[in-house]
Amino acid sequence: MDKTKLVSGIFFQLTPKKEAFEGRSGKWWFALLILVGLALAFIAGLILVAVGSNSGMGLQVVTGTFIIGFLVLGGRAGSRYVVEQGVVTKKRAFAWFIGFCLITTIAVSVASFVFLPASAFDLWFVLVTGGFTLGVMVIVLYDFYPVLRERGNPGLAVTAGILLVLSIVYMTFIAYWIVPHDPFTLDVGRPLAPPSSSLPFGTTSLGQDLFSRTIAGGAIMLQVAVVSVIVCFFIGVPAGLGAAYRGGMVDRVVSLLMDSIFAFPGLVLAIAIAAMLGPGIINMAISIAVVYVPSYYRVIRSQVLSIKELPYVEAAVVMGARDWEILFRYVLPNALPSAVVILSINFADAILTAAGLTFVGLGFPIDVADWGYDLTAGWGVLVIGKWWLMTFPGIMIVLLALGFTLAGEGLSEILTPKLRE
Amino acid sequence: MTNALRIQDLTVEYKTRRGVARAVDRVQLSLEENRTLGLAGESGCGKSTLGRAIMRLVPHPGQVAGGNIYINIDDDIPCKKGDIPKGEVDITGLNEEQMRVLRGKEIAYIFQDPMTSLNPMLTIGNHFIQMIQAHNPEIEKEEALDRGKEVLEGLGILPERVTDYPHQFSGGMRQRVMIGLGMVLRPRLLISDEPTTSLDVIVEAQILEQMAELKKTFNLTMILITHNLGVLAQTADDIAIMYCGRIVELASTENLFEAPQHPYAQALLLSVPDVTKPNKKLVWIPGAPPDLVDPIPGCMFNPRCPMAMDICKTQVPPLIESETGGLVACHLYGGK
Repeated sequence: MDKTKLVSGIFFQLTPKKEAFEGRSGKWWFALLILVGLALAFIAGLILVAVGSNSGMGLQVVTGTFIIGFLVLGGRAGSRYVVEQGVVTKKRAFAWFIGFCLITTIAVSVASFVFLPASAFDLWFVLVTGGFTLGVMVIVLYDFYPVLRERGNPGLAVTAGILLVLSIVYMTFIAYWIVPHDPFTLDVGRPLAPPSSSLPFGTTSLGQDLFSRTIAGGAIMLQVAVVSVIVCFFIGVPAGLGAAYRGGMVDRVVSLLMDSIFAFPGLVLAIAIAAMLGPGIINMAISIAVVYVPSYYRVIRSQVLSIKELPYVEAAVVMGARDWEILFRYVLPNALPSAVVILSINFADAILTAAGLTFVGLGFPIDVADWGYDLTAGWGVLVIGKWWLMTFPGIMIVLLALGFTLAGEGLSEILTPKLRE
Repeated sequence: MTNALRIQDLTVEYKTRRGVARAVDRVQLSLEENRTLGLAGESGCGKSTLGRAIMRLVPHPGQVAGGNIYINIDDDIPCKKGDIPKGEVDITGLNEEQMRVLRGKEIAYIFQDPMTSLNPMLTIGNHFIQMIQAHNPEIEKEEALDRGKEVLEGLGILPERVTDYPHQFSGGMRQRVMIGLGMVLRPRLLISDEPTTSLDVIVEAQILEQMAELKKTFNLTMILITHNLGVLAQTADDIAIMYCGRIVELASTENLFEAPQHPYAQALLLSVPDVTKPNKKLVWIPGAPPDLVDPIPGCMFNPRCPMAMDICKTQVPPLIESETGGLVACHLYGGK
């Protein structure tokens, strides 16, 4: 075993050591085979797609992001190394790491500015975001996986969920550089052509390449889901916390407001607000957020109402804890796991509501690649046996929702010390 | 001897829908330093409310309706909203921030139920860090943790266990952690509200012993609220018997057990089961305490008192000095 432990995390776990492999069950080997196989298949598929890309630069983009990803990993490993050597404190090393990331970003931007033609200028953004997404994925494996593994199944679920979501994010970032056809070009093939070797997922009713649209179509879903859930979370949780902790008039007014939102059927309200605000990612996210704020509020409020009467809160008062300490160290952490569950369910809900908004025509025009659009369009042609149009975007939505759900469910279990065994 | 605690005419009322219930009725009490006072009485007699009133933590809808509570403070205590001068301080007149500074630092309080008195989301070490930093923000985490470890070690808990969460401890250990948390800032006054009620007798004995040791090392003044007279016999220096929000008898432990003066105290002591005599019938006090919302005139105990006189039904007996040197509130002794 290397004394410095420069490379640890999952890489350390996989270091071939004789004892590590002895006494492993058949199940373990099977799981390893699936994992390694899936990872290899993913990379191979990515390269294959990239080689035949529409832009002609797919391979370079993928390589570039991988290089940035491994630079980030190297930076993290280095900062960990200096901490372990006792050269600097943890905080200082983290600051160095952030600085390293910033320098990498600037270097990539400058390099793109100098070497790339003006037509491919936005490539630097793709390289940086894609590269850092990969970097985060590797860090999740490198830094968090050994910690999360201690927690047993929930830890594995969180890791799997985060990786699933991040890989979809990565795919979305580099999508336009690796797709075999422009996702908007009409009449790439015969309209509604079934999957074939040249068009692996078939075409849409306008003859667009569904494979390209599936790769590129996550952007809107992700943005809408992330923005709406963040807005929901940061309005619903503080409102519930404040109202329940303060009680009295504040509680009544906020509860009345939330209940009146709750009284509307969710999708109808979202449609009404979206129709009022007009199309656009932020507007769509806001209209979805408004629908889901009350569920956070309700859950947090009821949790806080019961938690603030618990003996440990009174014990904190007796110990002379300040109000904000009681709120943020005693009440909030105990209420948060239920909010995280709502969060993970909400991601899936938001994605489906976004698809619903697109369905009623409040989504995006035809020249935007969107899973929701293809899904609803495919629903219309399913009856005539064109199954592929609905299936492939549907699978992606399910995978994304699954990733969020796994991450959320696992997180809520990890956040509760009692369930951590 | 200075008084660590002096309570004057303290009245605590609960405003219920049916009317005002007086849970603590004009209580007079003074407690000398380094003594342990036992507060005993049946359920609902106001002993816990009295303890909470000293912490200014009377639960809603209760409030202190009158009276003063003075505690003795050795040094000036700095506070953002008005420093607290040393000497006798009336805590009913302090603002919330001043009260917060006093809680934990000068007065510690230990609850009945150790199972739920610790935050399940925090490790034991974090509890100590929060406790110490709430009062001394300048103390570093490491130092706070060391102080916590020291206290825990004194209570017989391995210092390594500071990284454990509350659910990894047994009930007795949690109560010891609670006591440790109460003690870590070296308060002057410790109020424990039935600290051992939910524990088995062996753990109870251990904890009482440790509390007695702590009392010696830290020069604590203690108030022990319990309905268990056996616990008081073992630990208390003086015992106050409460009935319907009033103190009916206050005497040293020895005198109270040897020669209880008030009929209620006598009945209470008689009702303690005696295991040394075979087939002895359990003695109990007939009747139930009167409704506090609609109190009866005179001595509250008169309907249940075997020695009740006419005067008992009309006049509240004052707390006067008894023959044994304590205080008693009964017309039987006031007649001279």
